[in-house]
Amino acid sequence: MSLLTLNKVSKTFGNNSVLDNVDLAIPKGSIYGFIGVNGAGKTTTMKLILGLEEISSGEIKIDGEVVTFGQTKTNRFTGYLPDVPDFYGFMTAREYLKLCGEITGIPKKHLANKIGEMFKKVGLEDNKKQIKTYSRGMKQRLGVAQALLNEPKLLICDEPTSALDPNGRREFLTLIASLKKEMTIIFSTHILDDVERICDQVCILHNSKIVAHGSLTVLKQQYAQEQIEIQVEKKDDTLFTNLLDQLIKEEKIQAYTKKETAYVVNYTQPYLAVTHTLFAKCEQKDIAPTLLRKVAPSLEQIFLEVTA
Amino acid sequence: MKDVTIFLKKEGLEVWRTKRLILILTVFVLFGLISPLIAILTPEILSSFGSELNITLPEPTSLDSWMQFYKNLTQIGIYILAVFFCGSVNGEIRKGSLVNLVTKGLNRSAIISSKFIMMMILSLSAILLSFFITAIYTAVYFPDNDSPHIVAGLIPFLVFVVFFSAIILLGSTLFDGSMASLLFTIGVIIVLYLVNIVEPLQAYNPIQLIGENLSLVEGTMELKALGLAIASSLLLAVTAYLFSMKLMNKKKL
Amino acid sequence: MNTEIPPFILDNWLLFLPILLIQLTLMATALVHVIRHDHYRIGNRAIWIALIVFVQIVGPVLYFVFGKEEDE
Repeated sequence: MSLLTLNKVSKTFGNNSVLDNVDLAIPKGSIYGFIGVNGAGKTTTMKLILGLEEISSGEIKIDGEVVTFGQTKTNRFTGYLPDVPDFYGFMTAREYLKLCGEITGIPKKHLANKIGEMFKKVGLEDNKKQIKTYSRGMKQRLGVAQALLNEPKLLICDEPTSALDPNGRREFLTLIASLKKEMTIIFSTHILDDVERICDQVCILHNSKIVAHGSLTVLKQQYAQEQIEIQVEKKDDTLFTNLLDQLIKEEKIQAYTKKETAYVVNYTQPYLAVTHTLFAKCEQKDIAPTLLRKVAPSLEQIFLEVTA
Repeated sequence: MKDVTIFLKKEGLEVWRTKRLILILTVFVLFGLISPLIAILTPEILSSFGSELNITLPEPTSLDSWMQFYKNLTQIGIYILAVFFCGSVNGEIRKGSLVNLVTKGLNRSAIISSKFIMMMILSLSAILLSFFITAIYTAVYFPDNDSPHIVAGLIPFLVFVVFFSAIILLGSTLFDGSMASLLFTIGVIIVLYLVNIVEPLQAYNPIQLIGENLSLVEGTMELKALGLAIASSLLLAVTAYLFSMKLMNKKKL
Repeated sequence: MNTEIPPFILDNWLLFLPILLIQLTLMATALVHVIRHDHYRIGNRAIWIALIVFVQIVGPVLYFVFGKEEDE
């Protein structure tokens, strides 16, 4: 069953169409990667889901309830981590979480414990420091803590990793992945690496439409071609290029690109047959490859293909 | 209602920790002190210039002190309040600090109500503080009977401040920038002064509430005479408050 | 030049003293803040110093409301 459904959702700002008839269903219990370049309309979509922006046409439902603009009851199901969360700098983290908890309606006697739990979960210290002294990474943790406080069914993270350093990013992804059992998570990003690490379902937003969606494995089978990466010694470069050109003519391989010192070869014949041919040709020309490996299809390939 | 209490606590903590409370009280304490002082000094200064001219100036009275009080507060004081609160709603919308709370289920109307309540609490207590200081110094320095009804003079001003707070609230919700909302508030006051030229409307004009304070203090006018202006000011304040809530409910955050 | 304190100030020191103290504190607090920070929400250091020193009461208030960066 889908926890969140977008039904023919459109959003325009003036003459500018941000979302055009978007249909989407996000199944319960998934980490859903919401992919698009900057400005593709990811944040707008999140805001529509939260009732913070007015929908131009269509309908959004969370757990069967329609999201309305302005005051929306569906917010009780959601936790939201904005791309740049803003807190009250004059408060301490505990005071802020207490404010959030009171709004959500967590009973007073449980609230203090609950907040303590959150501090542990996100790895923040429960101290007297005011939030204005916090670093980006600490604010992000606090953002997660406030988003999780009401035990949401649906956690919406908008570009959560784009402002973090590599360490903070890895820690954050581990944290999100650990939440998978408890809730459904939408994760919007333009960093494909992050999506590959933790998401099991994705959709790609491009030119205000969803150009691909589904489980990552299915998409890979559907779109991405398998590739072989080969490296040869520098002195053999010209010889090897000629060899590959020859193979394209013979239709043994489809294309190749040179990436730094390696050649990435696209093929459609079975892997075994292609490697046989490659090895045979190399032996003929007296070239000894220094590296040869099968490249698994990546999300980047899919992304480049569907947005081309 | 529960949300109003919750958000009001946050507003209270905010004015306290950001030292805004101290700032606003300090300013109005100063106004309270300066008013009687200027009343005392005006003839002294004039006579130091005009001693050769040999003009005799009447001794200042308590009424002069109250005149300074209302002059300072209605010509500078209320605009300081406007400066103080013009970013109250739009500041939070701009920063995005409401997003977390609204997506947690905070009632949007409660935000407006809390902000309005906090504005009134601060403005009215600042003015009352100022009033008490002027009252004490006036009693000490001008022990005369020229100003028998100082409370009657204050009441319409307090009502005006309630009206004025509602206008600031509306400006702050209507416009995205603090400057625009400040100009809106000042614009409303200018319009009220202009409308005051139209005689049939005068009785209903909130601006009356800051024009007749001295007559009330003196006792040459009774509070009853301002009944219509008080009623219409409160009515306008409620309207502005309700309109702000309506705007807020449809604001993009 | 007459450097003596005019008699009316001495006569009314009960009024003068608190006003002087509060005004100076307000001004000094604002000045120290301006000098300790490089970034303001609007305006620059020179403008704020001039406003705070020359416009009594209103200058410091304007600085704290419009000049001072939030969370500073």
